[in-house]
Amino acid sequence: MTEAWVETQVLDGRVCIELSGEIDLDNAAAVQEEINAVVGNEVAAVVVDLTRLSYLDSAGLRVLFQLGERMRVLQMELELVVPSRSPVRRVIELSGLSPVARMLFDDPPPPRGWGVP
Amino acid sequence: MASTASAEDRLRRIGFVSNHALAHLDTEDALTELLERVRRVMHADTAVVLLLEPGGGELFAAAARGMDPEVHQGVRVPLGKGFAGRIAAERRPVLLERIDETTVVNQLLWERGLHTLLGVPLLVGGSLIGVLHVGTVRDHSFTEDDIHLLQLAGDRVALSIQAQRAQAARAAATELQRSLLPAKLPAVPTLDIAARYVPGGRSSVAGDWYDVFTLPSGRLGIVMGDVVGHDLPAAVVMGRFRSALRAYALETDDPAEVLTRLDRKALHFEPGMMATVLYGTLDSAFERLHLSSAGHLEPLLAVPGKDPEFVTLQVDPPIGAVHEARRHSTAVELPQGAVCCLYTDGLVERRYRPLDAGLDLLREAVSVQTADRVCAQVMRRLIGDEVPDDDVALLILRRQTVEEIGPLEVAVPAVPESLKEIRATMRRWLSAVAADPEAAGDLLLAVGEACTNVVEHAYGPAGGMVTVLLERRQGDAVVTVRDTGRWRRPRGINRGRGLLLMRKCADDVHVEHGEDGTRVVIRRALGQERGS
Repeated sequence: MTEAWVETQVLDGRVCIELSGEIDLDNAAAVQEEINAVVGNEVAAVVVDLTRLSYLDSAGLRVLFQLGERMRVLQMELELVVPSRSPVRRVIELSGLSPVARMLFDDPPPPRGWGVP
Repeated sequence: MASTASAEDRLRRIGFVSNHALAHLDTEDALTELLERVRRVMHADTAVVLLLEPGGGELFAAAARGMDPEVHQGVRVPLGKGFAGRIAAERRPVLLERIDETTVVNQLLWERGLHTLLGVPLLVGGSLIGVLHVGTVRDHSFTEDDIHLLQLAGDRVALSIQAQRAQAARAAATELQRSLLPAKLPAVPTLDIAARYVPGGRSSVAGDWYDVFTLPSGRLGIVMGDVVGHDLPAAVVMGRFRSALRAYALETDDPAEVLTRLDRKALHFEPGMMATVLYGTLDSAFERLHLSSAGHLEPLLAVPGKDPEFVTLQVDPPIGAVHEARRHSTAVELPQGAVCCLYTDGLVERRYRPLDAGLDLLREAVSVQTADRVCAQVMRRLIGDEVPDDDVALLILRRQTVEEIGPLEVAVPAVPESLKEIRATMRRWLSAVAADPEAAGDLLLAVGEACTNVVEHAYGPAGGMVTVLLERRQGDAVVTVRDTGRWRRPRGINRGRGLLLMRKCADDVHVEHGEDGTRVVIRRALGQERGS
């Protein structure tokens, strides 16, 4: 079984989701369920940190696209953190995700707990 | 003493002193043959050996002459009860001249019509192992000389049984040991593995073992261990440690954690047993070896172009030695062509020279060549024609060089669970052919997409296989993904992105839908510079 870990922190209406491990056809649906479970309709914004994700394919991109679509309907903001050292940086760049999510390509990524004043 | 001389003489005459003739018989036959000789020398009608159960509470009939049913019916006599039980309890000869239910517990004896019984204890080094008795149906009285003679014969019988038992235990230990070592080392593409195991001298085996196994994470587990002790008890504990280590290896990739769990298990379930263990996991690209040592000798690493060196590790206490030992893992780079040598102390330790001298010899013997040749060279230099006292185990791992890496094919069921395995195999191969990291990432993604298409679209409910062939052509990787099904059109929204990604990540993608399946050929330069 392909393994991925979904870690969530909620800070001031922002949901920060850190993904690590690998996402492919095998576990994409499970990852999607986990993400859906933590993104309620009360939140204002969702940040997905992909820094520690080591593999992502089109099945994984589908998860991000569907999340982006849902956020758009709910009029919420989606941000993806993908520093250049992230192994999935390239697939994100190739994916055409930019219309549905705001990309944070900056190095280094914001520290944990960011968003706290 | 005249009687001793004559007793010895009587024994010698029936060939009781030398057991050459018995050597080729198996245990039961040999014992029956011995009993026949006892019966003849004692002028008796029956001769029976009862042996003490391992638990020590009962005697059981092990061999008989003149009253075979005794053995076949599995006669058992409690210690202290009846005739044989009394001999065993009192450890002295007993002469019985009235055989009935008041004097013996085994009714076969009085049914046989025995008139007189004479029995002696079988003792080895002061401990009781059984009872030997002879009986006559005639009105015959055994003399003091006869008692002495039977005791002498009993001593011979006891020694013979003991020797056969020790031999059987050694044979069992050897067999167990052999059965627990990998009959065939796993064939792992891009890795060259060879091993040797030689039991110690005096045909005793110790608890040395080695193991190599693949893990679900794509890593490779490598074990070299040595249970303190020898023969059957050490071999049995070795078997338990080996299984436990394999089980813990499935739970975590951190070697220190695996050994911590093994230690906890050993201290609780095998108190008093100790083992030195070196456990390592090789990451899925085979570039780095993570090692943890429980009191084991450090492995030797030979990197092309450098002198072989012992790996500097934090050596933690042996398994089973102390409670809550802190354990450490050390990562060691394994460059292409590097040879890693794991071994037990039997390889380098000799009574006549310091350990460092043995280690120096090993360092001189190891060079960068195929694993099997390294094994042969090490065994020739360190063992030669010598029979070492202790067991010797040797395991050699070598990462193949770019030049050696040929095409690699992997065929797996076309199910989502296989994607990870395909990636693990590809990562290893891409590392072995020294692919640029970006090229490797692109190829992983492009091939991953091609395989995902097969998983999602090629087959109906019956399923099928997906085959991935990795080849090098000049500076390019050419990967062919094959199935034997027919692709259906993508369904649902947000689909069909895979082919696009595949084209973006490769220099060339060629899809052939044929009668007997689909082939996707993906070409990508292995270097940073993209081709055309």
